[in-house]
Amino acid sequence: MRVALAVLWKDLLTEWRSRDRLVAMAVFALLVVVIFHFALPEGTGRQIASNAPGLIWVAYVFTALIGLNRSFSQELENDALSGLALAPGERGWVFLGKAAANFTMIGTVQAMTAAAFGLVFDLDLGSVALELAAITALGTAGICSVGTLIAAMAVRTRFGEVLMPILLLPTLVPVIVGAVDGTEHLLETARIPFDAVQLLIVVDATYLITSFLCFEYVLDE
Amino acid sequence: MRDPALSRPPDTALSVRARGIEKRFGSFSALRGVDVDIPSAHLLVVLGPNGAGKSTLVRIVAGLLRPTAGTIEFGEAHPEKCRNVRGQIGFVGHATMLYPELTARENLVFAGRLHALDNPAERARELLAEEGLEAWSDRRAQTFSRGLAQRLAIARARVHDPRVLLHDEPFTGLDGAAAERLAERLERLREDGRSLVLVTHDFRQASRLGDQALLLANGRVAYRAEAPLPSASELDEISRHEAARA
Repeated sequence: MRVALAVLWKDLLTEWRSRDRLVAMAVFALLVVVIFHFALPEGTGRQIASNAPGLIWVAYVFTALIGLNRSFSQELENDALSGLALAPGERGWVFLGKAAANFTMIGTVQAMTAAAFGLVFDLDLGSVALELAAITALGTAGICSVGTLIAAMAVRTRFGEVLMPILLLPTLVPVIVGAVDGTEHLLETARIPFDAVQLLIVVDATYLITSFLCFEYVLDE
Repeated sequence: MRDPALSRPPDTALSVRARGIEKRFGSFSALRGVDVDIPSAHLLVVLGPNGAGKSTLVRIVAGLLRPTAGTIEFGEAHPEKCRNVRGQIGFVGHATMLYPELTARENLVFAGRLHALDNPAERARELLAEEGLEAWSDRRAQTFSRGLAQRLAIARARVHDPRVLLHDEPFTGLDGAAAERLAERLERLREDGRSLVLVTHDFRQASRLGDQALLLANGRVAYRAEAPLPSASELDEISRHEAARA
């Protein structure tokens, strides 16, 4: 656990000083929201509200891809990845630290994206902010657990930046289904649907445990 | 020359034994059946021309690369059966393994935390003092020259006080004083019972420091020698001869 906390501390500190990932993700997310604004036909608030869950999760997923891609490419600089690989004990703790750092950074950008989405499309997300944050956190945990594993696998390949979305997007289908379904119900009824939460918890746990165990072999060259 | 009767404290001793190490990258064979023995309190010098397989060999011993064939044992432990073997290995590679945005101190503290040290900040302070980097301890690694970064990388490799230390061309970028300090430290570590590997093109240091020499050419062991090693000029001549034959 101390290794996971060390990796989390290191990732957040380096990001705080460089801000390259957060800025890239934030700018990209804002651009996606603006593009949606101009791409979608003029409609009533009700139509926009029905499309909002899908649109907001599209923005979340593509923004997360940028952050996850960068998550391990910074470890290639000076071959710092070898330093992580030489850490004793279960390498899964390194994975957990990286995944937690990704979760924190992606979550920060998601909060900003949701606010921008609400403003641009005139949606009242403030009244369900806590519930929305809970569903977003569950969906993001799934994205970060499998995404961190795949980012580590792809980083040393020649076409890693292309390979990563090709590998990651299919595995995110159950996460997206649960998250969009949950967000849709929440915006309609102002209540968190149990079925969607149940699906997200099961998928998150499966991805988290699998990734933790597989990470031992991913760090080998 | 080192006194063979020097005591070898059991808590610092760990021998390395590699047998039949092969490594293929696609159709290219980087290593072809290499055997290596590094008893504790010994320094093995690995020599050879560029592309001979020296770095591949040390990365395999470090556990960073899986061999295509062959086995490596540390003392009684097979590395795949004992993850904690990684905690006994220190590695200085071609790259520094440093994070440019972190200061020298933070890089060492992070490495110490990865190795679950009880007091990584204190250990970082000790190593910075030993390497003469105290004045740079709060400067980010991205501002370091090649030589300063190399000194910090060497400190980083020792943060967990490993029993096996692998150095892949550690003298690169070091000035005369820093190179001499490193050579003296390698001698001290050996006397303390550590198993050491030094990959180098510096025949003078190889001849001075080594207990054994291994010359690789084209992925094979072309020459072996035990202490007392040949002189630097003899090693140079042997190296040229074997490289030409390969």
